[in-house]
Amino acid sequence: MKERLLERLLEVANKPFEALKDLRAKKKVIGSTLADVPEELIHAAGLHPFLILGTNEPIRVSAALMPDNCCSLARSNLELVLAYQPDFFDGFVLSQVCDTTQHLCDIWKRRFQDRYFENFLAPRQVSRPSARQWVAVEMRRLRESLGRYAGRAITDDDLRRSIRLFNENRALLRRLYDVKRRAPGLFSNREFFDVVKAAFFMDRSEHTELLKPLVQWAEGEAEKGAADGHFPAVVAGIVVEPPQIYDLLDEVGANVVADNLPTASRYIYYDVSEEGDPIEAMAERHVSRPNFSPINDQVERIYTDLIELYREYAAQAIFYIHIKYCESQDYDLPDIKRKMREEGIPMLVVETEYQSTHLALMKTRIEAFCEAVLGRV
Amino acid sequence: MQGEKPKSAKELAKELTAQYLEEARTAHEHGKYVAYTTAVSPVEIFVAHDIIPIYPENHSVACITKRLCTELSEAMENEGYTSHLCAYARCDLGYRLVGKSPMGGIPDPDFLLACNAQCFTLTKWFEVLSRQYRVPLFVFDTPQWIRDQEARKSILRYCVEQLKELISALEELTGKRFDYDRLREVVRLSDEASRLYRRFLDMASYKPSPITIFDALIHMAITVYLRGTPQAVLYYRTLVDEVQQKADRGEGAVPNERFRLYWENLPIWFKFRDHFNLLASYGAAILTSLYVHAWSYEFDLQKDPLETLAENYVSVFSNVTLEERAEMALDLFRRYSLNGMIMFINRSCKAVSFAVHELRDLLSEKTGIPALVFEADMGDPRFYSEAQIRTRIEAYLETLERLEG
Repeated sequence: MKERLLERLLEVANKPFEALKDLRAKKKVIGSTLADVPEELIHAAGLHPFLILGTNEPIRVSAALMPDNCCSLARSNLELVLAYQPDFFDGFVLSQVCDTTQHLCDIWKRRFQDRYFENFLAPRQVSRPSARQWVAVEMRRLRESLGRYAGRAITDDDLRRSIRLFNENRALLRRLYDVKRRAPGLFSNREFFDVVKAAFFMDRSEHTELLKPLVQWAEGEAEKGAADGHFPAVVAGIVVEPPQIYDLLDEVGANVVADNLPTASRYIYYDVSEEGDPIEAMAERHVSRPNFSPINDQVERIYTDLIELYREYAAQAIFYIHIKYCESQDYDLPDIKRKMREEGIPMLVVETEYQSTHLALMKTRIEAFCEAVLGRV
Repeated sequence: MQGEKPKSAKELAKELTAQYLEEARTAHEHGKYVAYTTAVSPVEIFVAHDIIPIYPENHSVACITKRLCTELSEAMENEGYTSHLCAYARCDLGYRLVGKSPMGGIPDPDFLLACNAQCFTLTKWFEVLSRQYRVPLFVFDTPQWIRDQEARKSILRYCVEQLKELISALEELTGKRFDYDRLREVVRLSDEASRLYRRFLDMASYKPSPITIFDALIHMAITVYLRGTPQAVLYYRTLVDEVQQKADRGEGAVPNERFRLYWENLPIWFKFRDHFNLLASYGAAILTSLYVHAWSYEFDLQKDPLETLAENYVSVFSNVTLEERAEMALDLFRRYSLNGMIMFINRSCKAVSFAVHELRDLLSEKTGIPALVFEADMGDPRFYSEAQIRTRIEAYLETLERLEG
């Protein structure tokens, strides 16, 4: 039963370009990059939002275009569109959240002069009223731009319909996450996060229709899934790549019960209000989302948010997924580690890159951590 | 005093720097506050509010030129930081651990301001300091200055709004009301010093050039930390007069000047002398870069001071699009009659280095001038391959010689 319900979702998550190869025949595909591009706007323009999440395939082209010490997320995003999927996208909306993403926009735009291209200039501070005002202004600019490209203005009703659809999708994913927390025997971490990932690629209505029976089945089976032998854990970071890291967590019996990933909770939590002006509602959601390392002027949230998640979900460990050369994480990590030591919270930092192929070492580290710190053999 | 010989720019610089540091070190005794800020930031607001701005970057440059970078960096690496980070940040965080400084250190901050038009690194570095000293961090967020007139108007409004928020935060810190008339005066002084500074930089357009970029890098220090004061105006007036006299005498900074080069990026601070000598032996001089021009602001005194501040700081070369940055560089090529370019990819500075390959393509395409591209670090000799870089610079200059025929 489960296999049948998951089949299409896992296929899309793991081989999106094959599973969705006919996408462009139906709609224009707009690729966006992390983080926080308002997908509802792209959808409301009658376009297909597709989140570009890099490639684990070898780097052949993009290495020559950027410095060696650039993170593998940026490098493999550019690699994906230049080398592996040059014809998949009709256009792009790229988010600027750090030096790398800002300057990547320039390189990208020059390489795709024949495509639609827009920056999303997200505010890089969120605690002051100006941020809330700015993000609304920027979303309006994006709305105009997408409307011009789509050849029709995006009306408030269009936008409300998209918001409702995305809210419904998020609500179903939250329900599934709830079951997963209680019943780790039902799904592996890999399966759950693959289901979430599929949402970023496929038509959101189709995803929602696939989720409905899955959630219904999971809720019905929840009692049977409360298998022993798992321990609750928090995953922190930006992306978990390669996705085999989830398999490694499954192997040691970690049940991810909470996270702060832009590729999971930062999407799932915090709906857009369906009341009032839709842009204002989206702006409100933007500034109330969980902490995200590059956008942070409340300086202690790098660890207070994690401690909160750890306590709220009674976790036993935190796995911090560190993308090598991510400058933002590089600056945060020593203080996060210190704080966790002070609080007596077991945390393992897993350093990785999109092209990491030698997972044996990572596996040994995760196993050793579980044995030594958590006493699990 | 009558009969007293006027001070040279060099003497003035020494004196002003000593005064400035003394004032910063005794700020609290005089009821003043110390704020750390980024080199590109609307510091005029601090000056107008009697807050002494301190630039950890400048202190880091001093550490680098005294060859302390590796030692300080290793100290912070032992605390779990990586050697991939900006050398300025590594020197600074290392200095805070071991206390080593070539100038007796800098006072601790009461407030932190990070303007991300310059880079994102500084906001993260200042976050670390904010946690360490438990002082507020204000991020002055400057979205990329994209080429869209409507968007630019909105960006400016957002920036002005933030400057108002900054002023409120400073009023809260000091318990003192902000004086906008004083700000106007400070902006006027800043404008005057910036224009004089630009005139000094532009003297590199003389043939032969009386200055090289190494002069610019030494003399930019005052505008970085004293702009908005009458002392900075006096200093640059003196400097401009001195260099003008040199130009009038036809004195070149490099004997038998043949190659007039553009430099992309921040300098390799610990290689100043070596690079100057090596290039001079070929009759080559690096004359300018967008980096030294980052402080040649032009404030519009007819406008609201917050607006002209926002406009100048958001449009710094590191925050414009690649195409616009190339145009800014091409303008220097034209005005300074440049015939060569060294494109340095600086491990320390992703903000400036990220698109250097693309920039090289654009500049070479437009000028037909070949470029030398190399990767190293501005501060840490561990990431500087002496023999390799020397060979490449020599080979490049020989190529230019061949092309010259």
